[in-house]
Amino acid sequence: MSFTIRYDDNNQELMVAGSMSPQSAGELGELRKIFEKSARTVNGTLYLNVKRLIRLNNIAFHELAGLVARTCQEKPELKISVVTSSVVGWSARKFSKLARISPNISVEQYDKQFYPGQDVLEDGGFIPILRTQTKMTWRHEREILPRHGLKPGMAVADVCCGIGDFAALIYKEFTPSRLIAIDHAKPSLAYARKVAADFGIKGIEYVYGDASQLLLDDNQFDFVTCRHSLQVFDRPELILKELFRICKPGGRVYISNEKNSHCLGEPRAESIQWTYTEVAKLWDHFKMDIELGPKSRRYMMDTGFEDIRMESFMVTNLDGDPQDFADVIQAWEDVYAGKMAAERGDSEEFIKKFRQGFQDHIFAALHPKGYAGWPIWVASGRKPA
Amino acid sequence: MSADARMRDGGADFKPLFEMALGVEAFASNWAHCDKIATYVARLVSHNRTDSLLYANLFSSALNELLETAFRAHRGGGELACHVSRSGPVDRIELTIPCDEVLRGFYTRAIEELSGDDVSERYVAALLADGALDPGIGLLELAVDYKARLSLEPGDGDAVRLVADLALEEA
Repeated sequence: MSFTIRYDDNNQELMVAGSMSPQSAGELGELRKIFEKSARTVNGTLYLNVKRLIRLNNIAFHELAGLVARTCQEKPELKISVVTSSVVGWSARKFSKLARISPNISVEQYDKQFYPGQDVLEDGGFIPILRTQTKMTWRHEREILPRHGLKPGMAVADVCCGIGDFAALIYKEFTPSRLIAIDHAKPSLAYARKVAADFGIKGIEYVYGDASQLLLDDNQFDFVTCRHSLQVFDRPELILKELFRICKPGGRVYISNEKNSHCLGEPRAESIQWTYTEVAKLWDHFKMDIELGPKSRRYMMDTGFEDIRMESFMVTNLDGDPQDFADVIQAWEDVYAGKMAAERGDSEEFIKKFRQGFQDHIFAALHPKGYAGWPIWVASGRKPA
Repeated sequence: MSADARMRDGGADFKPLFEMALGVEAFASNWAHCDKIATYVARLVSHNRTDSLLYANLFSSALNELLETAFRAHRGGGELACHVSRSGPVDRIELTIPCDEVLRGFYTRAIEELSGDDVSERYVAALLADGALDPGIGLLELAVDYKARLSLEPGDGDAVRLVADLALEEA
């Protein structure tokens, strides 16, 4: 049995994580002590965070329920909010029983607390964009990945795999010994499994998971990838910590991110630049950092990686069919100037100008003498042996 | 064939996935064996389920409760056997547990009580009750939260075979 229990006074949050399966309630003295102490000091709402609790036997639940029930009796004005995770299948079902104790107890599945902008990206509307984007970036990354240490026969994890097409390309090109692809969007995973089945690919494990609390053991993978995803989270350092944890000592973690304000095009450069500067502000409103690319090195150093390698590449309208580039930009416009701008409450006048920059980027991409670019930064670091 | 039909159909085609037997004293020498065996077996049988990690977590939690029940309710001597087989979406866990008359009575009653209409209410009541925990609570949990179909068969000698059919991708 290995679990941790910690009380964060600032958030009035009691966090229980790990595996809790005692033989007797007597083994839970630390839980009782910290729970009772925090319940005594807290006012208003006590948050019981069990998002990272992956095993809880009935003995432990019985003890926890007893603590909750006593607290409700002793402090009838106190509310208790239990935060479970959708990633741990039994969690919400089991903890929902606590709500029977008192109307002051609520039980929620609350992964979205961590992903403020996730609703926008998880509804499946992004799938066509992602497919075309991967086609365009793969031309570059298939050459880049070996420079960052990816070799055939490795155990690989693709965290935040999206629609799984990058994992499928890795599978075909680098024949990993194991390939696990994880994402938090069920529509994307359903699509990934269908594509894998259609292509007769049986070697990829597509699994539902939360990048900040992976149900994977430590030190499992030779190479861990996480592409275009740290920029989606408001706390990328927590994701990097998990990538570091599941990577084997001596293995490498590979990330890619953007700096959207550096998207460019000719002709109509000024309008294009204005719109992408506004894209960065729009993402920032949803607590996502689409400017993260060049910050990758700092993030990797702060996490504890060594031998950090970093480079950038530019996806352009000259890579393959310019219409692909135009399709991606059109999809960006649809989502950014459509759903996201509307959700932020932008004016019609702003949205018109905002849309024009995307249209000008498409114009540059399809112009016979034009040039349009989308820059991406990749970085990798080695976990110390 | 649906998962429910496979559970009901004794002749459904269950293919063996895993089998182990160990001396019941060795098993009962350390409570952590329940968790370790459950985690190990779950990893083995889950890799080709649609979502291997989610499935393994559910399967190991369910098997852990069965093993903890056996840990608390067995007699000395003989072997604890665990057999896992699969028919489509259903995984069948069979635990053979050395028993005496008293323990056989415990398992028989615990399984009989699962067929009542109020099983869900009784599970919640047992979870939230003061005092000692009902030793059959793991079986209640499987029947209610995991929608397992549980049954009891005679094993070799005076052992019992506890059978749990689980369709965890549909539960």
